[in-house]
Amino acid sequence: MLDTVAGNTGKAATQGNGEIRLVNLTKTFGQTQAVKSINLTIPHGSYCCLIGPSGCGKTTILRMIAGHETPTSGEITIGGQPVAGLPPVRRGTALMFQSYALFPHLTVRENVGFNLKMRGEGKAERDRRVEEMLAIVHMSAFAERVPAQLSGGQQQRVALARALITKPRVLLLDEPLSALDEFLRLRMRGELKRLQVQLGITFVHVTHTQPEAIALADTVVVMNQGSIEQAAPPVAVYAQPRSPYVARFMGGQNVVKGKVRAIDGDAALLDGPEGSRLRVPLAGRKLSPGEEVYVAIRRDKIVLKRGGDAVEGGENTARGVVETIEYQGIYFKVTLAPLAGEEFIATEPEATFFAHPIKAGEKVVATWQTDAVRLLEVDRGAAGGVQPYSEDAT
Amino acid sequence: MAEKSYGKRPWTFYVLAALFTAFVIFLYAPMIVVYILSFQGPTGGLVFPLRGVSLHWFDALFGQARTGDVGGAFSRSLPLALIVLLVTVLISVTAGFAFRRRFLGSGLIFYVAVASLIVPGLVLSIGILVTLKFLDLPARWFTSGLGAHLSWTLPFGLLIMFAVLGRFNPAYEEAAYDLGANKWQSLRHVIIPILFPGIIAVALFGFTLSYDEFPRSWLAVGSKNTLPIEIWTMTTNVTSPALYALGTVTTVISFTAIAIALGSIAYIQRRRSRRG
Amino acid sequence: MKSTRSLIAYLQVAPLFVVLFLFFIVPLALVVVVSFYRYQVMVGLVPDFTLKNYVEILTSATVWKLYFSTVKFTVTVLVITGVLGFWISYFLVFHIRNLLTAIGLFLVCTVPFWTSNIIRMISWRPVLGKEGLINSALLDLGVVDQPVQWLLFSDFAVVVAYVHLYTLFMIVPIFNAMARIEPALLEAATDGGASRWGVVWNVVLPLSKTGIALGAVFVVTLVMGDFFVVTVMSGGLSGSATSGIFNDLKFLNYPRAAASAVILLIIVLLIATAIFRLVDVRKELAR
Repeated sequence: MLDTVAGNTGKAATQGNGEIRLVNLTKTFGQTQAVKSINLTIPHGSYCCLIGPSGCGKTTILRMIAGHETPTSGEITIGGQPVAGLPPVRRGTALMFQSYALFPHLTVRENVGFNLKMRGEGKAERDRRVEEMLAIVHMSAFAERVPAQLSGGQQQRVALARALITKPRVLLLDEPLSALDEFLRLRMRGELKRLQVQLGITFVHVTHTQPEAIALADTVVVMNQGSIEQAAPPVAVYAQPRSPYVARFMGGQNVVKGKVRAIDGDAALLDGPEGSRLRVPLAGRKLSPGEEVYVAIRRDKIVLKRGGDAVEGGENTARGVVETIEYQGIYFKVTLAPLAGEEFIATEPEATFFAHPIKAGEKVVATWQTDAVRLLEVDRGAAGGVQPYSEDAT
Repeated sequence: MAEKSYGKRPWTFYVLAALFTAFVIFLYAPMIVVYILSFQGPTGGLVFPLRGVSLHWFDALFGQARTGDVGGAFSRSLPLALIVLLVTVLISVTAGFAFRRRFLGSGLIFYVAVASLIVPGLVLSIGILVTLKFLDLPARWFTSGLGAHLSWTLPFGLLIMFAVLGRFNPAYEEAAYDLGANKWQSLRHVIIPILFPGIIAVALFGFTLSYDEFPRSWLAVGSKNTLPIEIWTMTTNVTSPALYALGTVTTVISFTAIAIALGSIAYIQRRRSRRG
Repeated sequence: MKSTRSLIAYLQVAPLFVVLFLFFIVPLALVVVVSFYRYQVMVGLVPDFTLKNYVEILTSATVWKLYFSTVKFTVTVLVITGVLGFWISYFLVFHIRNLLTAIGLFLVCTVPFWTSNIIRMISWRPVLGKEGLINSALLDLGVVDQPVQWLLFSDFAVVVAYVHLYTLFMIVPIFNAMARIEPALLEAATDGGASRWGVVWNVVLPLSKTGIALGAVFVVTLVMGDFFVVTVMSGGLSGSATSGIFNDLKFLNYPRAAASAVILLIIVLLIATAIFRLVDVRKELAR
């Protein structure tokens, strides 16, 4: 049945190429630049997540791709075709709204068939296509209901069906899972991914939730005040963040500032906060003594030495005091007192914790291997080189 | 699921409920007295007791010339109210859409509309009379009278449209556009249907405000009276329950209009919340 | 296109503006113009520029007495309708738990607004009159042995009629303003130790200010600009600011009537602006 949506057996061919190219895309609202000369290519048939805090420009980009917002300058092409000035239906895009925007005065059937009615399709054909679509999203039993009678999850599926019936080559989703409760959110996440793989069309999904983005996307685009900080596969964004902003925003890393003391072969020796000494791989970067750099230390690769073992060591160790301990099932999240103003968190497996439990106020020594730390580059989205606050990262 | 318990009501509830009941009685009792008295017997007077029950005074209304030109007044007020309804809906709804975004002069027009509401009707009536004199045109119920009524109903219509459009989620329009509707299709299939209860409210105000309008119409309708003006002359001339009969008849018409409007709104809301 | 969007907006608002221009702005302007004309008996309007009309009116003791009487009525009615309007709205918004019931009761109060004012006014005659309902009841119950005279054709009757007709204009804006108060605010106030009256005084009243102001403006303009209620219900005993206009019109003295009208208008507009200064009307109305 999905074939009829895809238009052919296998990956979508008749819907055309859903590759999106954004070239120097800019959007200015009055005095503020919401999107600052973005360049991005989203491959056909991939799942792309735009992630960032409120006001970073991700929704504006989505809406410009959709055709609901006109770029101030720059180009958007979909499938090689420039789409400036074209209405959404002619672009081959369909938008799933954050509030779903189901027409309250129409039934589910009439909602889903809306595009077909606008195109002038006959009733019989409309009903047939709507039936198909409802079956795909498992909402056939609700055809005669009105949106007010549906739950949040059900409304979302209807909104999805309504968008997909237009046979788009790009599906745009504006924070589709934010309105759902946790359990439903996780379930719908899986369904969205399954759907995208089966349909084979491009999905562009805006979210502010990191686990969601790295679970779903083939490409994660981390945005910061109108600029792209990093656009890469989830593993790269999470394990190899490019800049302090990405490291802080995606979680999983501690950002630490250091000053280069010396270069030792393929590593740099840094003076870190509170007298700590850091050894970090250069990875091809050129540094000179005296330079100030940021590094990221993997939180799950930190070993906390406690009690009698809490002796100050050599390189890649830091003294700390435990502030809070959070139980997260598989692991414990131990937050130490901030190191020179930056959050410092270590996560350890529950077995490790239970072997030697620690309490708030205890002194510990955090240690890590050289391969757990990497150099970071400068934020792109920062205005005038000022580093954004770490509180902005959730 | 267990019934939600709000707890006992405070004593203030009973006091306020009593006040509310007294107010409702205060509002409706005199009207009910008029309805009852309109069925006064032929020999009865303007007050109680009822000397028999009859439709005598209803006949008197439309029969003898003594009780004024009631039939004629109806034949003007009703069509006029319907025209005002139509024109008010058309002008208020379109103007309401214009105000969705600020434009140069929007503030001015808004204040002019509000001013038109506030200005005492008598003053405006004089103004229209004087304007007609200047232009050397006669006052007629379907020209100057219509304009006088519109000066009263249009601001109301506009304010209602503000309330209605303020609650209208712009995402609906975008969704329609996203799904391939052009401006007209969007208007016809999405915007107007969703706004329809509000438009009915505008229509209701247009009809009833025109039908009952007195101060502004007084000097602006010309020699052929509308119903409220006719009633006004009757209050000074007529000393029989025919006046009450007229009151009953005209109120029934008003109630019918209200019932149709509110009923339609209720029907639409119900269909949108419980179907299938 | 920004410019086409503006053009469409202008087209959409044009009919409204045209009607208001023809039937509001122009008439008002001409009233002002005519107020400076002269009136000659047997001749009629004489185009001129004279302040004679204004001088006559403003120096006439009768006029000041009439205005005083009107202001008395206005203040009395304002207070009564304000108190009634506030507590009835309060009752509907905060004591009625079912939203549908609240809307239903609100409609019950509103429905009379959609019927004829004049009928509602004269319906008080058989109730307040000498042989009316109330007097008959009082006589039957033995409370009095003579019908109470001052119920009808008196200032009392006028106030009763005004309250009957115009309380609604208080209820609607106040109801609107109260309905928009987040219930959480009241709970927060109670949490913070406020008594029930304290909540009303510190939270509900300030947040209903705009509604009260709007209602006040309506009541003021309606009472001050009224001529039929006061004439009928007082039996001609009381006059109002508009009585003078009424008389002048009867004798075709349009210039003086116009001058009276302008004075009335200025006073009403002054009061309205004063009240509006207390609230931001556009924000309230064009939500």
